[in-house]
Amino acid sequence: MAENNGYSLWYEFKKGLWQDIPPFRLVLGTCPTLAVTNSVINGFAMGMATLFVLLGSNIIISAIRKYVAPQVRIAAYVVIIALLVTVADMFLAAFFPPVSKALGPYVPLIVVNCIILGRAEAYAQKNPVVPSIMDALGIGIGFTMSLMVMGFIREILGFGSLFNIKLIPPSLFEPWIVMILPAGAFLVFGTLIAVVNYISSRKSAASDKA
Amino acid sequence: MNPVTKMFMNLVGVGVVSGVILAAVFYKADPMIQANKEKELKEAIFVVLPEARDYKILKKSLGQEEFTMYAGLNEAGEPIGLAFKADGGGFQGNIGVMVGLDLDYLKLKGIRILDQLETPGLGNRIANPEFEDQFKGIEIKPKVEYIKNRKPEKPNQIQSITGATISSDAVVKNINNAIEKALKSFPTKEDLLAAEKAVKPASATVKAKEATDGGK
Amino acid sequence: MEDKTNDKTEVKSAPEAPAGPGGARLFVTSSPHFLNNESVPKIMHTVVLALFPAMAASVYFFGFRALLLYAICIGACLLTEYAFQKYMKRPIKIYDGSAIITGILLAMTLPPGFPVFGAILGSVFAIGVGKQLFGGLGFNIFNPALLGRAFLMATYPVLTTTWVEPRTVQKAVDAVSAATPLALMKFEGKLTPILDLFTGNVAGSLGETSAIAILIGGLFLRYKGYVNWKLPLGYLGSMAIFSGIFWLIDPSKYPDPLFHLFAGGAMLGAWFMVTDMVTSPTTDIGQWIFAITGGIMAVVIRLFGGLPEGVMYSILFMNAFVPLLNKHTRPRVFGAIKAKAE
Repeated sequence: MAENNGYSLWYEFKKGLWQDIPPFRLVLGTCPTLAVTNSVINGFAMGMATLFVLLGSNIIISAIRKYVAPQVRIAAYVVIIALLVTVADMFLAAFFPPVSKALGPYVPLIVVNCIILGRAEAYAQKNPVVPSIMDALGIGIGFTMSLMVMGFIREILGFGSLFNIKLIPPSLFEPWIVMILPAGAFLVFGTLIAVVNYISSRKSAASDKA
Repeated sequence: MNPVTKMFMNLVGVGVVSGVILAAVFYKADPMIQANKEKELKEAIFVVLPEARDYKILKKSLGQEEFTMYAGLNEAGEPIGLAFKADGGGFQGNIGVMVGLDLDYLKLKGIRILDQLETPGLGNRIANPEFEDQFKGIEIKPKVEYIKNRKPEKPNQIQSITGATISSDAVVKNINNAIEKALKSFPTKEDLLAAEKAVKPASATVKAKEATDGGK
Repeated sequence: MEDKTNDKTEVKSAPEAPAGPGGARLFVTSSPHFLNNESVPKIMHTVVLALFPAMAASVYFFGFRALLLYAICIGACLLTEYAFQKYMKRPIKIYDGSAIITGILLAMTLPPGFPVFGAILGSVFAIGVGKQLFGGLGFNIFNPALLGRAFLMATYPVLTTTWVEPRTVQKAVDAVSAATPLALMKFEGKLTPILDLFTGNVAGSLGETSAIAILIGGLFLRYKGYVNWKLPLGYLGSMAIFSGIFWLIDPSKYPDPLFHLFAGGAMLGAWFMVTDMVTSPTTDIGQWIFAITGGIMAVVIRLFGGLPEGVMYSILFMNAFVPLLNKHTRPRVFGAIKAKAE
C-alpha cells in the first residue's frame, strides 16, 4: 500500500461516487433510497446519518480487524453498527427534531442497511484504517448524492418545490402526487438505474473503441 | 489464547464498550429529546386552547387504559379548557388529533392534526388550517358530524374534504371517541375542576416560582 | 427486433414442453393469433368500431369536452408510440390501431372535466411505460390504458375523482359537480335508478356511464368473433353472483347485483379491458380463473375497500397473474406421458 498510496487512496474514494455508487450500481441500501427521498433535505439527512455510521463502523472494524475472532466477527460488527446507529438516532432527535420525525423509523433501520455490513465485510475487515476511511467517505458521499438526486426529482415533480421552498406556482404546474408516494420512488429509482446503465455502457463502448 | 476465550473476550469487550458509550450519549441526549417532545406537546395544546399559557397533566384510568388529558391554564393560572389526544385509524395509518374542549363540555375550542399518513394532496388536507379551523366553536352534542359538498347547517357540523371523505370521517370519529372518553373520565365540570386542583402545572418542574402561583 | 416472434415462443416454451412428431415442439403462444386473413390492424380497427356507440354516448352526455379528450388521448398515444419506436429503432407500427384503442380506452376512464395536460401525461405513460418499455404490442403485461389511468389516479388524485353531472357541461359555463353512483352508494348509501345507469345519465368517467352503448359494442365484437365469451361472462357473472350473495345477506346494506353490473366501469372493463388479447390468459381454465377472480376482486374493493370503484385495480391485479396462469393451466398434449416425479 505504501508505494502507491496517493493513487490508491484516491481510487478508494472515487469508486464510491460512480463505479460502485451504492443504490444504482450495487443496488444496496434500496430501502432508504425508496422510503425517505421525497425531499432533498430528507435525502441529505438520511445520507449524512448513513455516512456517519459507515465512517464509524469502517474505522472501528478496520482498527480491530486483527483482534476479532473470525467466528464472532459478524456479531461484533452488528453490535458496533447498532451502537453507531443509536447514537445517530439520538443525535437527530436531540438537535433536529423535525428531521428525526420525517425520517421516522428509517434511521434505526440503518442497522440493517446492507451498505454498512457490506463495506465492513468486503473492505474494512481486510484493509488498514486510512483506506477504510476513504472507502467509507466515497461510498457514503455516493449514497448521499444518490438520495439527493432522488429527492431532487421527486420533490420538484411531487411538490413543485426544492428545499421546501415553492418554486413552481401551482397555476403553471399541477404537482404529480405519485412522485411522493412509494410508487413514484420506484419509478424514479428504475429510471435512474436505466440512466446510469446507459451512461456507463456508452462509456465502456467509447473506451473499447479507443 | 484459547479460541473460545478469545471469542468470549471479543464479544464482552465490544458489548461493554458499546454499552458505556451508549449510556454516556443517552445521558447527554435524553434531556434534550424529552424537552423537544414536551415543546411539541405544549405547542399543540396552545394551538387548540389559544388562551392557554400553561397546562396541567390530568390522568385517569378507564378500565385497562390510561387516558391523559391536559387542562389549559390562562395567565392567572385558572383553567380555561381541556385538551386531549384522539388517536384512531385513518385511510392509510394512524391519525392523531389534539382536541381542545371548553370546560362546560359544549363546544370545541380547536383541533390540531399531530400525526397522519394520509394520501398527499388528498387525505392529508385534513392537516390544513382550512379544515382544522372549521372545528372551532363546533358543538359536541349530540356529537360532531360532517356533511359533504355543502355548507354546514347545524352547529355540530363541519364540511368534509371533497374526495377525502374517509380521512375526514376518521378525524370526526376519533374526536367523538376521545370526547366520550373525556366525559367518562370527568362526567361534570366539578369533577374536572377538583381533579385539576390536585395537580401542579407542567411548568412547575421548570420554574419553581410560577408553580407556587399556579398550584393554588 | 425482426426475430420478435422467436423470442416470444422461446420464452413461452418451458423446458418440459414435449417434443411432437418429427421433433417439432408444440408451443402455447400469447394472442393475437393469426388465422387466415385476420391481421392485427383488422382486429384493432373492428374494436375501434365497437367502441363507437360508447364514444357517441359520452359525446351526447358530456359534449365537446369528451370529443376533445378523445382527440388528445388518441393523438398523444400515437405520437408516443411513434417516438418510442423511432428511438428504439423498432419498425414503426402506429397504423396497426392498437395505440388508437389505448387512447380511446384511456379517455373513456377519465372524468369529463379532466385537464388536457393530464390526459397527455396519462397517454405518454400508458404507451411509453405500459407498452413500449415492455417491448411493444404483445409483450406488455398490463393493459396499457388501465396502467395510464392508474398512474393518473396516483398523480392527480383530486382531478381524477372530480365528476360532473351529465348534460351540464354544454349548458352552463360551470359544470355542476357531482358524485358517481358508486361513491353515492359507498359514502352516502344512496342508490341510483337502474334506468339512469343503463342509459348513462349519471356522473362518471366518459366511457363508463352508458351500459347500453358498451353492451352494443361488446356484443358486436362477440358477433365478429373477436371476443372470447368466457372472459366477459366470467367477469360479469362472478361480479353478479358474488355481490348477489351479500345482497341476499343484507339488502339494506349492500346494493343489488344489477347495480354492480351497470354502475362504474364494470361493463367497459368486462367487454374491452378484461378481453384484451395480450393481457389475458390463453388457456380455457386460465381464462375462467382470470375472469372470475377479477370479478370477485372488483366487488370486494367496491364493498370493503377504501375506494368506491375496483374494476381498474381488479383487472390490473389479475393481469399480473397471466404468465403464471398460462404456465400452470397449459393443457396436456394428447398422448403425452406425464413426466415421472423423481
